[in-house]
Amino acid sequence: MQRLVDMAVSAVLLAGLYATMAYGLGLIYGVLRIVNLAHAGVLMAGAYLGFVLHRRLGLDPYLSIPLVLAVTFGFGVLLYRGLVRHLPRGAAGGPQSLLLLFGVWLVLRNGAYLIFSGNDHVIRTSYSTRAVEVLGGFVSLNRVAVFVVALVPVVLQLVLSRTYAGKAVRAVAQNASSCTLVGIDVERVYAITFGVGTALAGLAGLLSATLFSFNPSFGTGELLKSFVVVVLGGLGSIVGTSLAALLLAVVEVFAILVLPAYLTSAVGFIVLVVVLVLRPGGLFGQRVLG
Amino acid sequence: MHLTRPRVIPWLAAALVAVAPACRSRSGSAPTRVAIGATLPLTGAEARIGGFFKEGYQLAVDEVNQRGGLQVGGRKLPVALTLLDDTSTQATAVNLADRLINSDKVDFLLGTYASHLVQAQSAVAEQNRVPYVNGGGGATDIYRRGYKYLFGIIAPVELLGTTLMQWIDREQKAGKLPRPAKIALLWENTAHGQDFRKGVSEFVNTSGGGYTVAVDESFELGGKDFSALLGAVKAAQVDLFLVDAHLPDYITIHRQYIGAGLCHPVVSYGARGSEKGAVEALGREHVSYILSAVWWNAQLAQTIPQAKAFAEAFQARYQRAPEWFQALAYESGRVLFTAIEQAGTLDREAVRAKLAALDMPSLLPGGRLRFPADKGQQVQNSFVVQQNMPDGSSPIVFPADVATARGVAPNPNCKR
Repeated sequence: MQRLVDMAVSAVLLAGLYATMAYGLGLIYGVLRIVNLAHAGVLMAGAYLGFVLHRRLGLDPYLSIPLVLAVTFGFGVLLYRGLVRHLPRGAAGGPQSLLLLFGVWLVLRNGAYLIFSGNDHVIRTSYSTRAVEVLGGFVSLNRVAVFVVALVPVVLQLVLSRTYAGKAVRAVAQNASSCTLVGIDVERVYAITFGVGTALAGLAGLLSATLFSFNPSFGTGELLKSFVVVVLGGLGSIVGTSLAALLLAVVEVFAILVLPAYLTSAVGFIVLVVVLVLRPGGLFGQRVLG
Repeated sequence: MHLTRPRVIPWLAAALVAVAPACRSRSGSAPTRVAIGATLPLTGAEARIGGFFKEGYQLAVDEVNQRGGLQVGGRKLPVALTLLDDTSTQATAVNLADRLINSDKVDFLLGTYASHLVQAQSAVAEQNRVPYVNGGGGATDIYRRGYKYLFGIIAPVELLGTTLMQWIDREQKAGKLPRPAKIALLWENTAHGQDFRKGVSEFVNTSGGGYTVAVDESFELGGKDFSALLGAVKAAQVDLFLVDAHLPDYITIHRQYIGAGLCHPVVSYGARGSEKGAVEALGREHVSYILSAVWWNAQLAQTIPQAKAFAEAFQARYQRAPEWFQALAYESGRVLFTAIEQAGTLDREAVRAKLAALDMPSLLPGGRLRFPADKGQQVQNSFVVQQNMPDGSSPIVFPADVATARGVAPNPNCKR
């Protein structure tokens, strides 16, 4: 029984990490209809940013969150203004945006190889191996901290539904042309959304770096997981993303009871295929940001 | 007879014309150097270790050239190494090997690093009948294809599991570990992991009831959450926690292992354990008493003359102690050069024959090296088992003839 409780706790904590990885990807697709392949590169960059701040300035990774968010937000806005906005939108711009953002990912990755080499790096703090007791079992303090931080972007849901800026973002996601008619600066909304989505990817990279070792190839597997979560949850749905992350984590963790361990991560992809066949819009439908 | 002779002469002439270009290209003029080709993963996922192999190759080549070159047929010929970056990808490794052989016209090849790259690249060498000596492909599958030109100076990973179990068995027989002992055997789902599992499992099967495998699970490379797997280990209440993992997975698993409050009398992550990166990531106190088994350790210099000579030369050149990566790369070069000198020619068939028959002093554990034909020309030298100590050292604890410390079992950390 205790083993099942431990597994349930693990699943919830893992869901927090998956959700953090996927928020940015879902947000950008929800508003701009762009599949941001540079998401993986920014995840990696967030990890290295946290590493440099920790190694050079001695800054705790959790205290460096605002700095990492600011830098990656700025990078996202620049990326949008400099490159992405010149692309055609919607289905017509699909291949171009995929190629462009894949190129950005490659540049980031190879830049990291040049600067940091292919060696694995880690962020180690005094609490990296500390554990706390949760429901009779021990879990890493770091994983609990990552889960708590992962809940913060859910605030984004409130921002999108309650504030003027949030309503503007949702309106642009629904019909950009009409927004122009009512005085909403669509380009500004796009730039900010791309920046926020990129910042969330940077945050996910930083949080991952507190748990795992990383190298310039980091982010590839995380991008795949993010795709699964975003598509399962319904593209553009933030609550859906959170619930899909929980579903994926529960399926992966509990699959070990009936499957060999090496197959458990494949279970998530099987669930994805089943959901796409039965509910092509995702479990929670193709809502526009909530 | 009178009728057939005129027919034979034109055929003979035609055959000579056909063969002549091939003879000219390789033996038409006297060679002025020994051209060696190699690729290494100098960028990409395996870049770190590719860099280590490069150091070993360069040291071996420079040593020979400082002596005036290789003694080939009464003449000293310098060695020219053409080293290319295969970017850690199979396709590039294959293409570059083809280029080295057919465009750069190298005489022999030294191998790349990582089993999957060696597996793909060695096929090109075999097709072109070029001797290929490597220290980077340890998976036994590579040597089960009946290749004649492939030589591996890296012992099979099966022996890693076996050597580790031999030390554990010694401690069990000394009454320091329970009998029977329950094992949790976790292995990465690769040829490396499968070989490790095979080595441990075969030892268990012949142990006469000394061990039982309570958990036998593989895991995906680069996994993020091992809590379910560790939950199974916890529930099985095992004595020996034996894992085969790459460095990133070792760090991830062991962080979660510590976080889950686990501790076992024997803990090993296969070939991983003493790496500086792991100590930095996990803290010295958390890696203490972890066992690892590796192909070579600089402490072998205390008992093996060739290891001493290499360790001193490496230290003098790079101002640091070598690891097994550089040692195996250096030894690959040394072995190939020895075979060339013994053959006294650059003829590939002659050098291949010398390699196949080689039995020479070596820096490897055991002190000698040969390529047994029944093992696909892969050396079968023992591994060395080392154990991390609280003072940061990692002495060799097994085999006894090269051990620099006794080793500690059970893990004292579990008493705290």
